[in-house]
Amino acid sequence: MSALQVTWLREVRTFRSSFAGYLPIVLFLAVAGWTFVMTLHKSDGGVLQIQTIWGIAVSPWVPLLCSVLTMRLFAEERATGMIDLLLSVPARERELVFGKYLAALTMTVIGVTASLVTPLVLLPWFAPALKSALHPVAFAMTWLILVLQSSLWCAVGTMVSVFFRNQTLAAVGSILLCGGIPLAFFAVVLVWMPELRLNSAWMPLITNVYDFSTGLVSTFVLSIYVVLTGLCLFVCSKVLAMLRLGS
Amino acid sequence: MLEVKDITFSYGAHEALGNITFDVAPGEILAVVGANGAGKTTLMRLLACLLMQDSGNAVIDDVDSLTRPIAYRSRIGFLSEKCPLYDEMTVEEYLTYRLKIKGERQLRVRRRVDEVLALCRLDEHRKTEIRLLSYGYRKRVGLADVLTTHPSVLLLDDPLAGMDLPQRKQVAEVLTSVSGRSSVLLAGHEIQFLLEWCTRFLVLHRGRIVGMHRVRDYEKDVLMKKIEHQLTYGKEDGGAP
Repeated sequence: MSALQVTWLREVRTFRSSFAGYLPIVLFLAVAGWTFVMTLHKSDGGVLQIQTIWGIAVSPWVPLLCSVLTMRLFAEERATGMIDLLLSVPARERELVFGKYLAALTMTVIGVTASLVTPLVLLPWFAPALKSALHPVAFAMTWLILVLQSSLWCAVGTMVSVFFRNQTLAAVGSILLCGGIPLAFFAVVLVWMPELRLNSAWMPLITNVYDFSTGLVSTFVLSIYVVLTGLCLFVCSKVLAMLRLGS
Repeated sequence: MLEVKDITFSYGAHEALGNITFDVAPGEILAVVGANGAGKTTLMRLLACLLMQDSGNAVIDDVDSLTRPIAYRSRIGFLSEKCPLYDEMTVEEYLTYRLKIKGERQLRVRRRVDEVLALCRLDEHRKTEIRLLSYGYRKRVGLADVLTTHPSVLLLDDPLAGMDLPQRKQVAEVLTSVSGRSSVLLAGHEIQFLLEWCTRFLVLHRGRIVGMHRVRDYEKDVLMKKIEHQLTYGKEDGGAP
């Protein structure tokens, strides 16, 4: 077993056996389900398809779930001093980073997949007339973009977690980095260049969900998510290496 | 065999270690003693690859810590001063996890865990959650973790702190028994007790080596006085530094 597998297994077991693993997922499912129902209710008679409504309802909550799941990954190790023991084992930093990252991503994907219960199981049960409007392939594409977004948010959260000893600060930091800072930056840019509003979506991430759910799959968007995820994990492993030598 | 050549390390402008040179052969137990702030922990962390020296090198069996860090780290067992552990795991789970993350083969894991549990007399606590253990037992779990992979060099930062006398004696027995296959380097303050079973003493004073003594070359009382003198004044012949 490689250090990556051992780290992944340990983290998944920790999530599975602790309140800190279950509670965020349960809360995520509750708010995502509620948002889905409310959005569906509001768009009654509108043009949005059910998989799009599901994607748009779930997407804003994913960064919050990822931030909470990743906040303890390295911050806890630093606070307890376990980071010394972790860094003295004969393994590369990137194996430790990937192991922890994949564990958080596993839990997030479980959460996102479980949220499909509302549109695919509960909705046809309560509203049988809508059963014909459910398209599995379209749902699969929506699920794919949500997983891609999750992978990026988990990478951001893992990276931020290395910088902190305090888990709450790590969570706040990754929430800011995932949503707050990009939105604030975009708002400032729009003040200076209002004409951009005509060419760009206010919420590019929601637009990506909309595009994928309606079949507009872009390899450019896919590449952006993959590259940004890789970049965050690369930075994370380099910071960890610097932490080893500079602590 | 651990060879340390001319290691220098600074925290910013403050030189924490200067021109540290020594070696430790298998079968030796080298005690690093010094007052608080003398540089013992910094030296241990440097040798455990948790800090990088400004100059000089540390070599274990011809493997340099800078050029082949992973191979170097596979040859050391490091016990940190605070001895952190995963509280939610049982002793057995923790040792198994640590062995696996160190890259030990699956087939050997169980045997090695059983071996160190017996060696460190932790057998009866194998299924106990670590959070329920006393400080002394936690240290023993940390020590067991260090011993699992049969490393060439053991780096133990203050392993006896917080232990009562019987526990210290047990640790001394364990370290003496494993010193046949490993070089042991331990930092500590308990000079009187260390004199009973360590083979050499390295005295640090303000980041510099001020004494290196082989225990068998001295009467214990004489050596004790000599070390205490060096700890206080930083040199052999007394007087103010």
